[in-house]
Amino acid sequence: MRTTAGEALVPPQRRSPEGMPAGRGGAPDRRDAMQRRMARIGWGYTSPSLLVIGLVTLFPIVFSLVLSFARVRITYDGFAVEALTLGNYVALLGSGDWYYALGFTVLYTVVTVAIELVLGTLAALVLERLGAGRGWIMALLLIPWSMITVVSAQLWAYIYNSTYGVATWVFESLFGTAPLILGRPVSAIAGMMVADIWKTTPFVAIIVLAGLVMLPQDVYEAADVDGAGPWTTFWRVTLPQLRSTIAVAILFRILQAFGVFDLPFVLTGGGPGIATQSLAVMGYKTLFQDLNIGPGAAIAASTGLLVAGACLLFLRAFKAQVGKEDVT
Amino acid sequence: MRTRSRHGWRRVVNLVNLGALVLVVATALPLYWLVAGSLKPATEVGATPPSPWPADVTVANYVDAFTSVGFGRYIANSVVVASVSTVVVVGLATFAGYALARTPMRGRGPLMIALLMISVYPAIAVVIPLYLVERQLGLLNSHAGLIIPYIAFNLPFAIWIMRNYMLAVPRGLEDAASIDGASPTRTVLTVILPQVRPGLFTAGVFTFTATWTEFLMALTFNSQDAYRTVPVGIALYGTTFEVPYGTIFAAAVSVTAPIAILVLVFRRFVVAGLTAGAVKG
Repeated sequence: MRTTAGEALVPPQRRSPEGMPAGRGGAPDRRDAMQRRMARIGWGYTSPSLLVIGLVTLFPIVFSLVLSFARVRITYDGFAVEALTLGNYVALLGSGDWYYALGFTVLYTVVTVAIELVLGTLAALVLERLGAGRGWIMALLLIPWSMITVVSAQLWAYIYNSTYGVATWVFESLFGTAPLILGRPVSAIAGMMVADIWKTTPFVAIIVLAGLVMLPQDVYEAADVDGAGPWTTFWRVTLPQLRSTIAVAILFRILQAFGVFDLPFVLTGGGPGIATQSLAVMGYKTLFQDLNIGPGAAIAASTGLLVAGACLLFLRAFKAQVGKEDVT
Repeated sequence: MRTRSRHGWRRVVNLVNLGALVLVVATALPLYWLVAGSLKPATEVGATPPSPWPADVTVANYVDAFTSVGFGRYIANSVVVASVSTVVVVGLATFAGYALARTPMRGRGPLMIALLMISVYPAIAVVIPLYLVERQLGLLNSHAGLIIPYIAFNLPFAIWIMRNYMLAVPRGLEDAASIDGASPTRTVLTVILPQVRPGLFTAGVFTFTATWTEFLMALTFNSQDAYRTVPVGIALYGTTFEVPYGTIFAAAVSVTAPIAILVLVFRRFVVAGLTAGAVKG
């Protein structure tokens, strides 16, 4: 092993006896050598991970971009790239279905993340003030989060079922009519959002709660002394301090919601029609049901690029807002 | 603290307790419906109006799920895929996380950003190239065909978690070990590892949950019945005309309960993991 060989290079007496970082009082070149050695060890430790990640994630990401520019012909035992073309993207930009899927994905992302944020923050404020039973409620909240999305999608499909679903029954007894919840675009979209909000609000609540618990208490005492009411305290003291916590929650939620696949695929199949067809569902159908590899790759790759771009923009804004040390 | 003195009924009936009640009921009701449905016979599952609790409790759905449908095999597949992936991910992430937290590697910042971006990159954007490569290598419909991409796509977040935990370990420990002549690898294994045990649990629970619930790749790469994982089995069970919810829910409860218990036992670490990177310290 390289590490045992490296050990012999730096005898223990090169380090100061107080256990200070090596070479602090020593000669600069010795310190540089130590630094270089540690950096080498660092790369040694990181390279297996980077190798796996590079081979298995970066290669497909690049490959999918190439495919998205390819005219692909399906052959007997696979497919063949005939030519490189912009045609897939031209087709995409001329496709009403793609604009709809993009619009639906953005709407779904914005609405669910906004509602989850508000409900999650409220839930966190409640949990923070709750004395008894907080641990158990947190544990209960973690169950929907840890659930297989496919399972919760089946559960909500059952709840929304047009003949024996309990939600249908509730509407029927309240209003006398039975709506086809998953059979109409607007209610299917709303139903899908409810299913997501149920599953994911706990995630946001727990993140915000962790942030709340860590806030310094003296600020609250100061606000109390100044005669600030609970409402003012929340808006002026609590919320600004939670900014970085909430920002991270938003980042993860937005990027996850944008790639949404499992829930619409199982709950509605993207229907009725294409009403709940997200970009990922559209990409999957184009790739694996229509076997339209070029256009499908264009849908998939552009979704990936949108997520990556949003992530970069967000990190930049986040860095500017809360300072560099919070990000890296 | 901001506790005000409360008197009489206001001690029990107040906004906080009311909010907690709403939270519990809203979270628990759908879960109750899942469990209740799994215990009802087929006629009661499809009854109108729905019966609020199983009038005729039966375990027939559970028997059905494990004997005639073969959910046992799906569970075995999921357990193999998720646990192998988790062990490898945690092992690799420990060393990478240590290196990124403690060694003066150049380009750590950009590397961390790149890892973050890979961990949120949507799976749909990579399934087709991975599918083509796996077909070429004969990896479709095999455990390795899922384990390899699961490792690669879950490593980045696990590295983030491990790095954040490593940052909190006092520097003096390593220096003392190094004075005693321990090699860097031995230092990591014997000195650092015990300090970051919560991090190992957090990364482990996260990776396991992510791989256990993953659907798109499992659906695309392992469509053959013998290699289906739980999410694929549950999604593809039933026909367009009839969905046997009782059996599906029995399978769902059987696979949700162990994970729920796992999460309950390790809830401290799960909560910590959810906030890894969100809150310093």
